[in-house]
Amino acid sequence: MSWIRISLAAFAISAALPVHAQTVTITTAGGDYGNAMKEAMWSPAAKELGYDVREETLSDGLAALKMQVTSGAVTTDVIHLGSPEGAQAAAQSLLEPLDYKVIDPKSVPDGAKSDYCYPFDSYGTVMSWNTKTYGENPPKTWVEFWDVTKFPGRRALRANAQDSIEIALLSDGVAPADIYSVLSTPEGLERAIKRLEAIKPNVSVWWTSGAQSAQLLKDGEADLVITWNGRAETVKKDGGAADYTFKGSVIGTDCLGVPKGAPNKEAAMKLIAAMTQPARVAKLTDFIAYGPVNPAGYEGGLIPEDRLKTLATAPENAGTSVFSNADWWVKNGEAAQKAFDEMMSR
Amino acid sequence: MADPALAADARRERRFFLSLSLPALFIVGLAAILPILWIIRQSFLTTGGEYSLGNYDKVLSSGLTWSALVTTLELSFGTLAICTLLGTPLALALASARPRVANLLMAFVMLPLWTSILVRTYGWLVLLRRDGLINAALTDSGLTAEPLPLVYNFTGTLIGMVHYMLPLFLLPVYAAMRDIDANLIRAAASMGATLGQTIRTVILPLSAGGIFSGSIIVFIYTLGFFITPAVLGGGKVNPLSTRIERTLSTFQDWGSASVLGILLLVVMALIGVMFLAARRLLTRNGAAHA
Repeated sequence: MSWIRISLAAFAISAALPVHAQTVTITTAGGDYGNAMKEAMWSPAAKELGYDVREETLSDGLAALKMQVTSGAVTTDVIHLGSPEGAQAAAQSLLEPLDYKVIDPKSVPDGAKSDYCYPFDSYGTVMSWNTKTYGENPPKTWVEFWDVTKFPGRRALRANAQDSIEIALLSDGVAPADIYSVLSTPEGLERAIKRLEAIKPNVSVWWTSGAQSAQLLKDGEADLVITWNGRAETVKKDGGAADYTFKGSVIGTDCLGVPKGAPNKEAAMKLIAAMTQPARVAKLTDFIAYGPVNPAGYEGGLIPEDRLKTLATAPENAGTSVFSNADWWVKNGEAAQKAFDEMMSR
Repeated sequence: MADPALAADARRERRFFLSLSLPALFIVGLAAILPILWIIRQSFLTTGGEYSLGNYDKVLSSGLTWSALVTTLELSFGTLAICTLLGTPLALALASARPRVANLLMAFVMLPLWTSILVRTYGWLVLLRRDGLINAALTDSGLTAEPLPLVYNFTGTLIGMVHYMLPLFLLPVYAAMRDIDANLIRAAASMGATLGQTIRTVILPLSAGGIFSGSIIVFIYTLGFFITPAVLGGGKVNPLSTRIERTLSTFQDWGSASVLGILLLVVMALIGVMFLAARRLLTRNGAAHA
């Protein structure tokens, strides 16, 4: 009978003390996007795992990650990064290797696979325009976007080399498949920068945050805006006089990593695995137009048919796109950004 | 000669008063000196963790640094010039107004100081943008055919910075002008000086100290301004502060960012010394005039 007493005692103790649920801290970019991730992904996953998940929001994940890891005060267990930043963080050994015994390795297509930062959703950097300015006849390609006599109007571009130099080369007639081989030559980078310099007088704003780009589009401050498809879709859905195209978009992915020395490493891996189940990454598209990386997310009608065309990675949108190459950016990012900044200061 | 006992007494008193400043010195040391020392150390560290002059070489040989420095100085001097032109007459008006009117006007001047800089900066965006209030008024009334480019450029940044700095410039100038003995102004008038002559030879020399204090405040603040150029500059106005931010967030290069921070500190110190020297020179002349 003693075991009953013991287990009863244990029961009494566990009932008397607050239950010590596993706590995990996740760092996201916040805003609509962070909220979408919470509702669709980590909140249901936390419930399933019985974790107490805390959210921190930061607009600059990589800088914060570096600060936490190098100062030895890591407070976050899961961090949301853009894949180029994820690759950069991995190269600076700021991330723990992913545990592919916990996370399903088959859930990522070979081309997107990473040992350190798990890609879960994808977005396109797209051309968007003010429908009041251009009506039924907006620019259709990047070549036309650069044609300021045929399409006069104020442009807004991101104040960052990322995606901008790829688009600049597309506007110069380089085929999507050749972008990175051209960029890898010194003349290629120069060619892209020259193209940006050519359009610079017609750029009224170089934006620095996604929210700002959406505002510019919505207010009509700029007529042609290069922005992320989720932002353009939100403006369009909210009744803004705006439209966008996936033609020639640069597709990037966002990923989840575990900071080196994270306090709850194992739980973090489990949370990543659970929050990126196909149904959950498909559910993310209920809130924001960023499609799953996991091909299973597109199967079984998890995403309604009519929504598919609002996603960068939907089959019909993929033909003219360039897949952002995170490895290229890790190797050449600093040189490219420096050339870009010099162009801006001229 | 003074009595040695009295001198010792005075020394003891001085030491006691100095000791009162210790808690404040301790806090300043902890909150200001230590981080600066840390930044100086960081500026010599490579990404690999070795000591070298590499960061200095990289930052000082880059044209980007110098163009950012030029932008920083243009913004600071521009803000200062406009603040002086707008603030000095305003201070004069405030100082010569009746106390009740002066207090009311002062409340209007101080009001923006109580509002967060972010709110004010975005407020300017609403006013200045292409279909903003000012442009709408201008085009609707037919004064301009096209909306004016008032924001997302140097002009917009300068407007935002002047708006922030004007009250801070005004306070010391107003204080100096209010303290001018009214009898001096009356004396000048009774000797036949015109209003212009009175302002030039009596009021301005006597308030030079205040104008210089205000100028130093404007300078110290504006050299490090970040939010206003970032929001109102449209990516085209890039002073040292945005350069530091880019170096940190895009390149994670803390060493180079530290060098930029030190550069800013050196520029600030140099300009501070120049101002103090000029102030000493001018106030001495002012005193001679009086």
